[in-house]
Amino acid sequence: MEVDNNDIQIQVHFKSKQELYAVPDIPYSISANVTTTDLNTLVNTLLQHSNDEHVTADFDFLVIDECLRTTLNEHLREKAISFEEVINIEYVERFPPPEPQDCLLHDDWVSAVETRGNWILTGCYDTTVNIWTTHGTHILTIPGHTMPVKAVSWVSLDEQKGTFVTCSQDQTAMIWQWNIETNSVECISVCKGHERGIDAIDVSPIGQRFATGSWDTMLKVWSTDFSDVEASTEVKRSKKDHGATKTPKMTLQGHRESISAVQWMDNDTILTSSWDHTIKVWDLHLEGIKTEISGNKSFFDVSYSPLNNLIIAASADKNLKIYDPRLKGGNVIRNTYLGHTKWIQTVTWSTEEEFLFVSGSYDNQVKLWDHRSPKAPLYDLIGHGDKVLDIDWSNPKYIVSGGCDNSVRVFKSKKIGKEAEQN
Amino acid sequence: MLRKNVLKRDFVDDKTKQTKNDFVDVLQNSPEESDGDSSDEELVEENFSSDESELEFESDDDGNYVRKEVIADENETSDVEASEKSDDIEDYSDDDLSDSDKIINKPDSTEIEYISERNDEYNNSDTSDEEDIRNTLGNIPMHWYDEYKHIGYDWNAKQIQKPVKGDQIDDFLRKIEDPNFWRTVKDPQTGQEVVLTEDDIGLIRRINSGRVPDSQFNEYQPWVDWFTSEVEKMPITNVPDHKRSFLPSVSEKKKIGKMVHALKMGWMKSMDDIKKDKLLKRGPKFYMLWETDTSREDMRRIHDPVSAPKRDLPGHAESYNPPAEYLFDDKEMKEWNKMSDEPHKRKLHFLPQKHKSLREVPAYSRYLRERFLRCLDLYLCPRAKRMKLNIDAEYLIPKLPSPKDLQPFPTLESLVYHGHTDLVRSISIEPKGEYIVSGSDDKTVKIWEVATARCIRTIETEDVVRCVAWCPNPKLSIIAIASGQRLLLVNPKVGDKFLTKKTDDLLSESPKSDQLETDRIKTAVQWETAEKHEQIKGVRVVIKHFKVIRQVTWHGRGDYFATVMPEGANRSALIHQLSKRRSQIPFSKSKGLVQYVLFHPIKPCLFVATQHNIRIYDLVKQELIKKLITNSKWISGMAIHPKGDNLLVSTYDKKMLWFDLDLSTKPYQTMRLHKSAVRSVAYHLRYPLFASASDDSSVIVSHGMVYNDLLQNPLIVPLKKLETHEQREEFGVLDVVWHPMQPWIFSSGADSTIRLYT
Repeated sequence: MEVDNNDIQIQVHFKSKQELYAVPDIPYSISANVTTTDLNTLVNTLLQHSNDEHVTADFDFLVIDECLRTTLNEHLREKAISFEEVINIEYVERFPPPEPQDCLLHDDWVSAVETRGNWILTGCYDTTVNIWTTHGTHILTIPGHTMPVKAVSWVSLDEQKGTFVTCSQDQTAMIWQWNIETNSVECISVCKGHERGIDAIDVSPIGQRFATGSWDTMLKVWSTDFSDVEASTEVKRSKKDHGATKTPKMTLQGHRESISAVQWMDNDTILTSSWDHTIKVWDLHLEGIKTEISGNKSFFDVSYSPLNNLIIAASADKNLKIYDPRLKGGNVIRNTYLGHTKWIQTVTWSTEEEFLFVSGSYDNQVKLWDHRSPKAPLYDLIGHGDKVLDIDWSNPKYIVSGGCDNSVRVFKSKKIGKEAEQN
Repeated sequence: MLRKNVLKRDFVDDKTKQTKNDFVDVLQNSPEESDGDSSDEELVEENFSSDESELEFESDDDGNYVRKEVIADENETSDVEASEKSDDIEDYSDDDLSDSDKIINKPDSTEIEYISERNDEYNNSDTSDEEDIRNTLGNIPMHWYDEYKHIGYDWNAKQIQKPVKGDQIDDFLRKIEDPNFWRTVKDPQTGQEVVLTEDDIGLIRRINSGRVPDSQFNEYQPWVDWFTSEVEKMPITNVPDHKRSFLPSVSEKKKIGKMVHALKMGWMKSMDDIKKDKLLKRGPKFYMLWETDTSREDMRRIHDPVSAPKRDLPGHAESYNPPAEYLFDDKEMKEWNKMSDEPHKRKLHFLPQKHKSLREVPAYSRYLRERFLRCLDLYLCPRAKRMKLNIDAEYLIPKLPSPKDLQPFPTLESLVYHGHTDLVRSISIEPKGEYIVSGSDDKTVKIWEVATARCIRTIETEDVVRCVAWCPNPKLSIIAIASGQRLLLVNPKVGDKFLTKKTDDLLSESPKSDQLETDRIKTAVQWETAEKHEQIKGVRVVIKHFKVIRQVTWHGRGDYFATVMPEGANRSALIHQLSKRRSQIPFSKSKGLVQYVLFHPIKPCLFVATQHNIRIYDLVKQELIKKLITNSKWISGMAIHPKGDNLLVSTYDKKMLWFDLDLSTKPYQTMRLHKSAVRSVAYHLRYPLFASASDDSSVIVSHGMVYNDLLQNPLIVPLKKLETHEQREEFGVLDVVWHPMQPWIFSSGADSTIRLYT
């Protein structure tokens, strides 16, 4: 059979959505056992024929909506497509491999990271919050919490000041204001209300509210608005080092076990994942559950991308699963991504690339995935020496991950830079 | 006859001597009379007519009888006798003998009357024919007359009336009053009641005891030696032997001569010759090879023939002129020669050979041998088809659901909790499942965050930590730590801050106990508030025991907890109450070395495992409910199903026992899954799962479904063997604990790690 396969010729059409790399629309007859590298050289030569100025580029080839990772004939056999047909191969410029840029060393495990602009905010198990620049300069260490910080999130950032919230196992969330020029930080308010450690936090897209998910199974929504509180609590603040105490605007009950991740889908919708094997979508107008997705394992993290409206979830196994929240019932698994060897603790969509997401796992690896390629990740971002606890890609230029090896790894994703240059 | 008569005469003589007990003689004589062919009817008649002079008559009668016999012997005619009888009644009375009788008997009047009455009924003779003379019914079943008032007819054809029958009270009164009641019987023929005499009773007794009925009969009479047994020395006659006795017989001589002639001529044969001939005729002996050789067997051959094995069709190799590829090349030839020792293994049983024409084919050299083998085949062919019972081994195994259908259950190691430096003996999980506590031989207790394997706190103690137990009450935040001889109640300070503070408040003040504790308890346990340096670590209360604590376990509500000191003899199991800071010793006697105790999840029961047995005590009624027999040498641990009806026991002899407490005191199922001692077992609170940890460094997860339907027995399916712990000096996994919510299992091992499987 193998002998036969080598001889098979397949008729293919090459297509591209990028004007830059268009090739003539003629069917080509190629050998069936070509790999991506072969196709790459083929397309590049074709491009060079049509356009002399063409600079060799790396492409990924999509056959029937899925990236080609093996030889073409194996791929076709898997999809049960006849070799007789003319096959459309779409090629896209391959996402360039992210390059390790920096390693930010902490005193203890880093459980939370978030970038905004050029600043990286990290939460640490030694109860401190740190601010770094993307170039690896340590700006500030903020003590304040009494127990490990579990999650951090930026509220707003401009030239003079930044606002961010942090939450910790000490059952509080804190809103901080950081004056960049003077490099001083003060706690504006302490949010008390949860009865156990807070595990997840996220700020709404507009930035007026934020939601916290805790081990006491509650989802609480708070206001970030502090201007009104500020004046009245002036006295209190002098008494205490911390800011004014805040109470939740809204408490949503529904999960049966701890909430592991919170994300705002839009200004009135919150997505949560929990250890009770469910992912829930909450409508804040209704103050109730809009959609519920139940899996068969506990969920550790969940991420929603407004670009493609899909939810990617990490559960207590080695797989990542994609759900579509728009579908009724919502329990349909669109795809499963295999590659990690241990629990996946964190996952997040790219904010700019429709198809890309990154995941961090207890097997010390960060992987960059294309959601059209479920068999293998695009790249493995190696660097961590211990479990990866949190990952962030909110600044499209940097993939930032924090882990149990007391470090934050910063990877630079190049393509954006290139496009920016082109633009 | 003569002798009898002589005897009779003796009796008669006796009668003359015996004066009083005359009637006895009568009785005794009567059988004798029946022997004789006397004309009884006449006698009867006479009796009827003569009511008063009975005795005389009788004695006369005897005399008469004897005489009659004598007369018979003397060959006198019966006519004479009859005439004599009828005529000479008076004569007889005149007789000396009878006279004497009469005279003598008269004074004893009562006796006589009695006898006369009796004689009236039976008339002096009891031959079967004439048992009842008055009743003329004959020998018919008397119950035919049950319904009538009469019981038959007398000689005058008058009805004989049944005697009036009293009721039971009368009977009873009579029974009391009448001293003779016991000897009164009812005569079925007449319905009259008869009082039996002493002699009758004696007679009955003798018959009952199997003796001769006649009291006078002497069983040991002197032996009369009619024929002598002595051998005489001298012959009785002196006649000489006859000539025939020593001269050979001529006729016999002639007969023998004839036989000799016949033998010589061969007409007759000697016995030896006959035997030899027989042997010759018989020939060799054959035995039946098969079971039967009958017509049935013949029919079987027709109806159910055993088909001959089919031979392969001849191929090209068998041709006289095979194509070249069928001829052997060197390699094949070598192989052929190699198998010369075991020719039956060759592919072909011949060498393909090429001949130019059919004419050149030689004779088949193995023809004879092949025929012989064919005959052997037929000869040894079995005559009957043996029906083989094909049972699949798998068919016999009970159908268990496949593990795939029983998900979720832990299959993979997910996290390893590193930090301890010596074997981790015990682990316990927080009721909410966020933290886990472990106690180790390195004298530390560590609290871990489950999700990240982060060690949150390390509490150092003064001794080896043998057991840790997190209080199951979610409103308290206490860990009980068994460290050496001290039991520490520690506030872990994790989870809800409010609860932590509340617990601290609760533990800080010791309630004043108004109850005085006995010396027995005082010497065993002392409650103390922790020292300052220990307070910082989180230790709140210290309970000092008098022996090393091996195990501590909480009651479900979290107020009571029990400790086990295997060396504590009769004080080895203790129950402590947290709220009152009081200890109790529930058992006054030790029934063995206590290994493990456990509270029932719902009922106020305590399970106490000694080395061999488990006893269940009711704590309210303070009595033994049940004793479970394990048949094992040493119990290591127990776990109770959250519903409380099933108990899982692990033993050091590699067994796991599942007890259904409703079913019996013997194990419902014994599982030998492990290769080494089983250290610990645990039930999941929510999922139908249980797990066991063993020294073979494996954790086995099994499905243990308990149905609400009482008729359905629990379903037990071993699911997964998790072997990631390392073996250290014979020790493998020491403890297992399930996550309270998730189907996750924690195991602690001798390799000083804790592992989480999901």
